[in-house]
Amino acid sequence: MRPRTRFSPSLAALMSAAAALIPEAQAQTATGAESDAHVSYRYNDYSEDAQPAPYGGDPERYHVLSQQFQLATHVGADAALDVSATHEVMSGSSPWYVLPGPGQPIQIMSGATIRDHRNEVRASFTQGTGSSGGTTYSASYSAERDYHATAVGIERSMPLSPALTLGFGGSFSHDLIDPTDAQIYHRVDHEQKNSASLFGSLAFIIDRATVLQTGLQLNSEHGYLSDPYKEAYVGDDILPERRPGRRDQAAWLVRYRHAFSGPDAALHLDYRYAQDSWGVTSHTIESAWYQTLPARWELVPALRYYSQQQARFYAPYFLDPGAHNVYSSDYRLGTFGAFSASLNVRKRVGSWQFSGGLERYHSATGYALGGSDAAVPAVVSYTRLFIGLDYLLQ
Amino acid sequence: MHRDVRFLAGLALLALLCGCATTAVQPWERGRLARWDMRWDPDPLQSAMGNHTHFSKEGSSGEIGAAGGGCGCN
Repeated sequence: MRPRTRFSPSLAALMSAAAALIPEAQAQTATGAESDAHVSYRYNDYSEDAQPAPYGGDPERYHVLSQQFQLATHVGADAALDVSATHEVMSGSSPWYVLPGPGQPIQIMSGATIRDHRNEVRASFTQGTGSSGGTTYSASYSAERDYHATAVGIERSMPLSPALTLGFGGSFSHDLIDPTDAQIYHRVDHEQKNSASLFGSLAFIIDRATVLQTGLQLNSEHGYLSDPYKEAYVGDDILPERRPGRRDQAAWLVRYRHAFSGPDAALHLDYRYAQDSWGVTSHTIESAWYQTLPARWELVPALRYYSQQQARFYAPYFLDPGAHNVYSSDYRLGTFGAFSASLNVRKRVGSWQFSGGLERYHSATGYALGGSDAAVPAVVSYTRLFIGLDYLLQ
Repeated sequence: MHRDVRFLAGLALLALLCGCATTAVQPWERGRLARWDMRWDPDPLQSAMGNHTHFSKEGSSGEIGAAGGGCGCN
């Protein structure tokens, strides 16, 4: 047992004074509220690799240009407001359905180039940003030509002890789906889905340089959960895909942060295990190294690995039409794994912060844990570039 | 599904018990924990874009915090 440290009254008073110098909101950074006042802008250029052969249609896949704006500010002494907006412009073709081929399946892409845009606004208000915890109320609205989503959420952060913080909350989303060219391609005309989510988390201060958080999220979706633009080869027909009308998901997450004094850096390790009632299970591991450099530069290399096992009703095509009442050939429900690597750099100049980065994401069926039996010809690989600008308001 | 949820809840409880082994860290010892690079999410905008991309291209999702709305991304 370590001997108990005894402080003289004068030393204790000095330590108390030093503690008072640490702003309360910052002292809570690793355990609860994370707020500072700033205005931010991000520009992202996301580009998917072309669809490899064999394919039909246009092989040029999605290209998305995104702009994000954010204002985060304090409201009074013990509240914070965060407002953000996103504008995206999408173009390119999308995987449509898969045909049996002589040697390997043939991925058919959407013939006409898709052009669309998406606008999203989010707002959150946090009451209580100090050591006593806080409550955050949030709302968002996302609009596309064929998809509208409205979501509200609430979450509470509550310290249980000086080293332990409880977090919990929930959200609800109502989505409307109005596919384009519904009559031409025999798509659904107007559908909707509802999603409800609950989460709980615990954050621990392990020591003066280490924090750990673990949490559980439960999510339930009801309604039209198919993708109206995906079809499947069933027997000799090409039919709109058909997924179950309900999906229950559970995800367990762990986040670890450790600060190093020697290299003046911080290590981030994240893990997530997720599974759902469709049979999809996945493991996600992420790591990032936040290296502080002289002259207020910062370098952040990061790695991510993702592996998922397919939904029970996934196959590239279905030769026996009578054997399935739900079916999908959407590559996102197949078995695959993905590696991604990114490098971000930041530079502070006064109250300004400039940032930029590059991410390369590569997926393949062979990367999946345990391998794969069914082909997934449309697994996606992409490159993402971003630049950012922040102005700190305090 | 219910058995799986119980399994996940058990893992979370195990992590809670592990947390009981933490040592007391006084407020004046939290200088490093208060740093920007020790946040759970140092760049929320960039994380939001990354999560949005992964949500659109992968079969699983889930994070610590309130979930947002969906999108027609394909």
